[in-house]
Amino acid sequence: MNDAPIIELRGIVKVYTSGPLELEVLHGLDLTIERGEYVAIMGPSGSGKSTLMNLVGCLDRPSRGSYQLEGVDVAELDDNALAAIRLRKLGFVFQGYNLLGRADAMNNVALPLFYAGFGAKERRERAMAMLAEVGLADRARHKPSELSGGQQQRVAIARALANDPAVLLADEPTGNLDSATSEELLQLFSKLHGKGRTILMVTHDEGVAAHARRIVRLRDGNVVADALR
Amino acid sequence: MMYVAEAWRVLMANRARSLLTITGLIIGVGAVVAILVLGKSMGGAVDAALGGFSDNSFIIYPNPTQKDVAMAAIRLKDLAAVKDTVPGIMDAQPLGFHSDLVRVGFEQVRYEISPDGPIRFNTTPLLYGRDFTSYDVTDHAHVCIISNAAYQRLFPNGGDPTGQNLYAGAQRYVVIGVMQPPHHGFINATFSGDITIPWTTYVDTYVRGSTVFAGRFIADNPASIPSLEVAVMNELRSLRGANTLEYETFDKTQITQGINGVFNAMTLVVALIGAVSLIVAGIGVMNIMLVSVAERTREIGVRKAIGARAGQILAQFFVESLLLCGSGCAIGLVIGLTIGQVVNQVAIVKVTGSIAPLPWLTAVVVAAAFALVAALLFGTYPAYRASRLDPIEALRYE
Repeated sequence: MNDAPIIELRGIVKVYTSGPLELEVLHGLDLTIERGEYVAIMGPSGSGKSTLMNLVGCLDRPSRGSYQLEGVDVAELDDNALAAIRLRKLGFVFQGYNLLGRADAMNNVALPLFYAGFGAKERRERAMAMLAEVGLADRARHKPSELSGGQQQRVAIARALANDPAVLLADEPTGNLDSATSEELLQLFSKLHGKGRTILMVTHDEGVAAHARRIVRLRDGNVVADALR
Repeated sequence: MMYVAEAWRVLMANRARSLLTITGLIIGVGAVVAILVLGKSMGGAVDAALGGFSDNSFIIYPNPTQKDVAMAAIRLKDLAAVKDTVPGIMDAQPLGFHSDLVRVGFEQVRYEISPDGPIRFNTTPLLYGRDFTSYDVTDHAHVCIISNAAYQRLFPNGGDPTGQNLYAGAQRYVVIGVMQPPHHGFINATFSGDITIPWTTYVDTYVRGSTVFAGRFIADNPASIPSLEVAVMNELRSLRGANTLEYETFDKTQITQGINGVFNAMTLVVALIGAVSLIVAGIGVMNIMLVSVAERTREIGVRKAIGARAGQILAQFFVESLLLCGSGCAIGLVIGLTIGQVVNQVAIVKVTGSIAPLPWLTAVVVAAAFALVAALLFGTYPAYRASRLDPIEALRYE
């Protein structure tokens, strides 16, 4: 298991059906991501990067093709099984942070731990450890509205890492941040990568993608370039 | 539980909205609980008011609207015949009141004089003295038992008045008993005056002619009263040789049932109002929960992306509905109990001298049942909708 690739996509086809219309977005895409990689997926709008992200994130199923996550075929799993995969193996970071406004930083980070069934004490301890890892231990009791955009995104990263996922999925993580804050956040990603985290990031910003070790370029639903740096 | 804590945060974040949503529940549960409390003590009040009315007595009188009223009249000798021939009848006496001037020493008051016997019709316990004996009846003894009110008025110096003389009209009686103060019943159902004398003595003194306006019968067992009433009426008809004669009956069960029937009808009406307000309030809850699900579509998407199962989303929104309904019903419970208790204190306590214990458990169970039913009926669908949301769509929601 351990030497299996984290993500192995083979011949992935995704067709969206809307009434009589069929739109094929991905046309037999292959992609393998090994443990510990830091990959940026780039491409213009409509290139299929969001669709790919949804598939990799187990929010959606491919129309055809196989998807192995740590050697497990997830293409045919039911909703609850997919939810369990998202909970245990995937960590999401969104462009708009998507923290719960009513809950403080710690409770936001503790949310996936709650869904995973941890007790209150363990939730607190692990959430605090995660906040410390992203450098926000002193902001644990602050609500999102009391945090800067960069801080909110760090809380979101701590939340994504709470259940120690196999891969961190980031969708335009710096899209809402100014360049200085973006830089700090990207340094955090590099640090996490340095600790062995596998990171898959979608971006359209060359400067952001330049921080990744590998850049996969999509165009019209096909991989047009895949280069290590 | 985390669900509860989160649901509480959500509800408190929309305090005004939450409060307005549960107003219907508060009113419905409040009304039902209040009537529950009152119904309980009303029942007690009826019992207390009828406390003096003996359990094993019943009254029979001719229907005054029938054609042959004179023929139906109950004669003294009919009473004696009924006592002898109808099994289960321990005694048969005339029922009556006669107003007369009563004098003790220099105290002089007009009182109602009533007949009674060894098994007293007015069961108010005695403060002093003794009951009538069967000899008092057979001997036409000039003895009397007086009510506590008459005792206070006629014997202002207090003390045990038994053995003292009391004059009613031209007759002299020896006081043999004094009743305890009765509950201040709002229904005078004792059918007994302030001065009671042996019924034979009463007949001698006050009954003109051979008929009485009503008969009072004493059954050996309260449970057999309904069948004995029929037996006595049949006997009265056969004594007159006319089976078309109409009689009316009256007993404690009838009064209690009659009054309780009114309360039951009231309770039913309030229960209906409660049910209607429950439905209306429930629709309000459902509406606000659907709004809440719509507002938080994105949050639901995030939760699903993080790994929440559909069941966990369902649980979260259901707990929210439950908490909403639960707090409404809890507030309603407190208000209902308060209203019930206040009315008890200002009204019922005057009638019965005491109040029934608050039906805590029933009230709590009723309120909890309301909350659960409302949440189940009206919270499930919004929660289900939330749980079925597609995470990708939900995440895209602005």
